[in-house]
Amino acid sequence: MKSAEDMNRVVEEYADMVQRICFVHLKNHDDTEDVFQNVFLKYLLYEGSFENGEHEKAWFIRVTINACTDWLRKLSHRKYLPLEIIAEESEIQDSSSGEILEAVLQLPEKYRNVIYLFYYEEYTAVEIAKILGRKENTVYTWLSRAKEILRRQLGGEWA
Amino acid sequence: MNELQKSMNGIKASKELKADTLRYLERQMGSKKDGKQAGNMAGNRIRNRRYAPRFALALVCLFLLIGTGGYTFYGRPVSYVSIDVNPSIELGINRLGRVVSANAYNEDGQRILEQVKLKNLPYPKAVRLLLDYEADEHFLTDNSLLVFTVISENAEAIAQKLAGLSSPQSASVLTYVSDKDCMEEAHRHAMSFGKYRAYQELSGYDGSVTVEECHDMTMGELQNRIEGCRGHGGDGSQDTDNGNTGHHGGHGAITEADSEGADRSRRIGIHPSKAQTPPPPGGLPQSALQSEVPLHGGGSQSCPKFRCGTGSL
Repeated sequence: MKSAEDMNRVVEEYADMVQRICFVHLKNHDDTEDVFQNVFLKYLLYEGSFENGEHEKAWFIRVTINACTDWLRKLSHRKYLPLEIIAEESEIQDSSSGEILEAVLQLPEKYRNVIYLFYYEEYTAVEIAKILGRKENTVYTWLSRAKEILRRQLGGEWA
Repeated sequence: MNELQKSMNGIKASKELKADTLRYLERQMGSKKDGKQAGNMAGNRIRNRRYAPRFALALVCLFLLIGTGGYTFYGRPVSYVSIDVNPSIELGINRLGRVVSANAYNEDGQRILEQVKLKNLPYPKAVRLLLDYEADEHFLTDNSLLVFTVISENAEAIAQKLAGLSSPQSASVLTYVSDKDCMEEAHRHAMSFGKYRAYQELSGYDGSVTVEECHDMTMGELQNRIEGCRGHGGDGSQDTDNGNTGHHGGHGAITEADSEGADRSRRIGIHPSKAQTPPPPGGLPQSALQSEVPLHGGGSQSCPKFRCGTGSL
């Protein structure tokens, strides 16, 4: 059983990241809360130990992605949100940032994961492969296809 | 900071959400100390509220299933689909159109089934998942030949549905119908019935070919050998890297020559995005399944050695 201090620490440290991953998958705040709390509950109940901070962070990423996938599997959700709602949800003021986010949110789930982890969390493809439990070549393929989609939608400068 | 980081920096967990979460976790920690099973509480708050009707429905279904020999109904496959590229995988499909068995007939297939869970999914969704995975893992490429072979009372409907699934790559797609005798014979050779059908066709042309030899060949290579035996290399098709013949993946209709393959199984059609083969005038006679005359386009010599598929659909 984790201590209250430990729970405070992980909520403070990973809350934003968990929230972003939930948003990338669930695309709105309403659904995020339950998944968000479930992720930290899983941590509370987790009896294993982590080798270091990076290991712990990777665990949170993996668990959050799984929790989102389970949630989407159980409930039928909207697949698409208009730009205005996305901007509102993500507190985006800049329209170009909104376009990028909208394009990312429209990617297939597997591409969304690798794009988020590669560009936002700045993991390498090798690290992403370990986190997602897939082959490196698969991650490279997903990255390349996702970049191509974003390049088509957002212009040649991107990716 | 890159563009994506800029666009997502506004997404943060609110103070309220963090505070709510910590309160929620404190409650769970308290419950755990009280001796309750915290593991069972994960998500109970959500599940109780939202899943009660589903749970009730599931219970009703369970009673119905138990009362009517449901397991036999649900668990017994009535149709089979062999999906062959290089990985060879067979799916058993029940009356509800759901996958109830998935078996691999080579190492690649085995590795895929360890990663992709297909059971209980509707078969089109299962096949879609399988093809996506095979494309991601580079088994299914633009140059691959993907062959669906179906055994079912509704083989044509299933084959057409499968052919309608868009391949994640621009792979060539063929669909055939086979029968249970062929499947049993294939399994005696530890081979999928789809690949075995191709072996049978090839052995009809080339008596020296062995099952063992075919075990290690991709469907593209097998098809290439078959086409080579037919001697139709000059019909405008183009060979591809792994041995596929171009007229399967090419645009436009299959030529007369193409449809001359001696085949006791039925070639149902070509992936709609690849080519269109009109059915022969008057449709496809059921009895033709048991004959040695190819049904699509016909006009070829029968193959005396092509003995597989004596059962009827």
